[in-house]
Amino acid sequence: MNAAFSFYASTLLVYLGVDILAVWSLNLQYGVTGIYNFAWIMFQAVGAYTAGVLTLGPDTGNGGFQQYVLGLRLPEPLPVLLAGAVSGALALVVGIVALRRLRTDYQAMVMLVISVIAVLVVENVTKLFNGPAGLSLVPQPFGSLPLSALGYQWFYVGLTAAVCLIVYLFVHRVTSSPLGRALRATRDNEDAAQALGKNVVRLRLFVFVFGGAIAGISGAVLIEFIGAWSPGSWAYVETLVVLTAIIVGGTGNNAGVMLGALLVPVAFNEATRFIPQFGRPGLVDALQWIVIGGLALVFLWFWPRGIIPERRRRFPGGPAAVPAVPAPRPGEPA
Amino acid sequence: MSVPDGQSFLVADGLRREFGGVWACDGATFGLRRGAITSLIGPNGAGKSTVVGIIGGAIAPSGGRVIFDGTDITPMPPHQRARIGLVRTYQLSSEFGRLTVLENLLVAAPGQRGERIRTLLYGKRSWRTQEGELLDQARTLLGRFAMSHMADEYAGNLSGGQKRLLEIMRALMCRPKMLLLDEPMAGVNPTLATAIEGYLAGLAAEGLTMLLVEHELGLVERLSETVIVMAQGRVIATGTMPELRARPEVLHAYLAG
Repeated sequence: MNAAFSFYASTLLVYLGVDILAVWSLNLQYGVTGIYNFAWIMFQAVGAYTAGVLTLGPDTGNGGFQQYVLGLRLPEPLPVLLAGAVSGALALVVGIVALRRLRTDYQAMVMLVISVIAVLVVENVTKLFNGPAGLSLVPQPFGSLPLSALGYQWFYVGLTAAVCLIVYLFVHRVTSSPLGRALRATRDNEDAAQALGKNVVRLRLFVFVFGGAIAGISGAVLIEFIGAWSPGSWAYVETLVVLTAIIVGGTGNNAGVMLGALLVPVAFNEATRFIPQFGRPGLVDALQWIVIGGLALVFLWFWPRGIIPERRRRFPGGPAAVPAVPAPRPGEPA
Repeated sequence: MSVPDGQSFLVADGLRREFGGVWACDGATFGLRRGAITSLIGPNGAGKSTVVGIIGGAIAPSGGRVIFDGTDITPMPPHQRARIGLVRTYQLSSEFGRLTVLENLLVAAPGQRGERIRTLLYGKRSWRTQEGELLDQARTLLGRFAMSHMADEYAGNLSGGQKRLLEIMRALMCRPKMLLLDEPMAGVNPTLATAIEGYLAGLAAEGLTMLLVEHELGLVERLSETVIVMAQGRVIATGTMPELRARPEVLHAYLAG
């Protein structure tokens, strides 16, 4: 493996790790609980910005070339954990406002609007996170280690994998437990879940905050790797890439959405990088968005359960297995 | 005994609810005897489902009170009513379609340790034992309702009648003190309807209080001693079925619709 390829591969693996965190987070909210969080990318962005301002140090130190709030230099893993905490706290606030009374279709619209407004606020209130130019020169964690540039790349792949593993343990505990079952019941029929004694608002808020915290952590892992973050990184359409990954991989299945993360944001985005440019500048990029949107539609139409569908829970001690009939399609009146 | 008195397990006291200028429920008052099936009948649009909605907590009344087992529960949200033992079923199927039949039952059980957010920290060991107990309960229930062979089937794939059975079983997993049954036989074939009727009679014999909304009057007569008749949002008569048949205002309400 030559150095250039090794560099490329390690970069892709870090992106994959970040995307896996992303799909787990949104899958908990959308796939498991049925919350249409079209503001998902905002929670990743808040995590990224938080980690940025907690590692950059005071903004007076860089000749005033960028300005931002706070400006601390905290040791790892504090910036990553606090990124999760801040995103989770924001999710709590947004959730209390948006998830309490509104029907899910209105919730979806509220989320979309919040996502668009948030970008405008950050672009225009320059003092927050350096406006449209965004944060840059964010220091990499453990940068003082005696590693070559390539060695550090692989070191960071290891860090990302460790974060993914820890997050997975928590995600799995939710999805495999009676808590996850209550969330799925809420998704399938909110009124009935409530009539059986489930506090639907509380369940939704929990998953919104928990997913929001994971989104924040994913943002922290990303900004500390690439060293920069700006409003261009979190336009509302970025949420749709994560959503498409979930739909393609298998809504409601942690392993399925991992495959989706590999196929859509990583493989698809990378593959198109090698398509020769044609037409006017920017045409290929624009087509890429169209194809991602099309991919989501095609899957929702023909394979609504995705490549690895949500798995059927079986319990020990039952009679002989019943023949496999696929689950009813999501969204289909059952 | 449907005039509220000290013996009533549930009292609906002057329930009123308006929908866009129409009083769907206009001062309905009645009491339900403990450990018996009371039926609620009346023509379409009489306000029966609104009454069930108000008692279950899904519909907020414009006026009146609901008293359950001596407590005024009028301001209580639906999930808390279920937790104190007042559980309803729906007129339209309300199964959790992408959960299996068994999961539909398990999820209904109250007070599950594994549903607490603490489960994030403690993991499976905090709820494994309880889950095993619930699994036994659920399998017993499936056996009683002759549905064991469907345990691992997705609830969304059941037939209409099987979904009604599932709904009753699921409500029972909630350990109710009282069941609100909103047309439990709607869309059920005659064979299964007979079976459901038998199950309901069995539950009544065990002392479960039930309010049954039903259109099939033969069934109402067989299952319930007391019948409440509603028309145009009000209770117009109460009594046994033979008594009610003799009363002109009941006949008029049904004929005039």
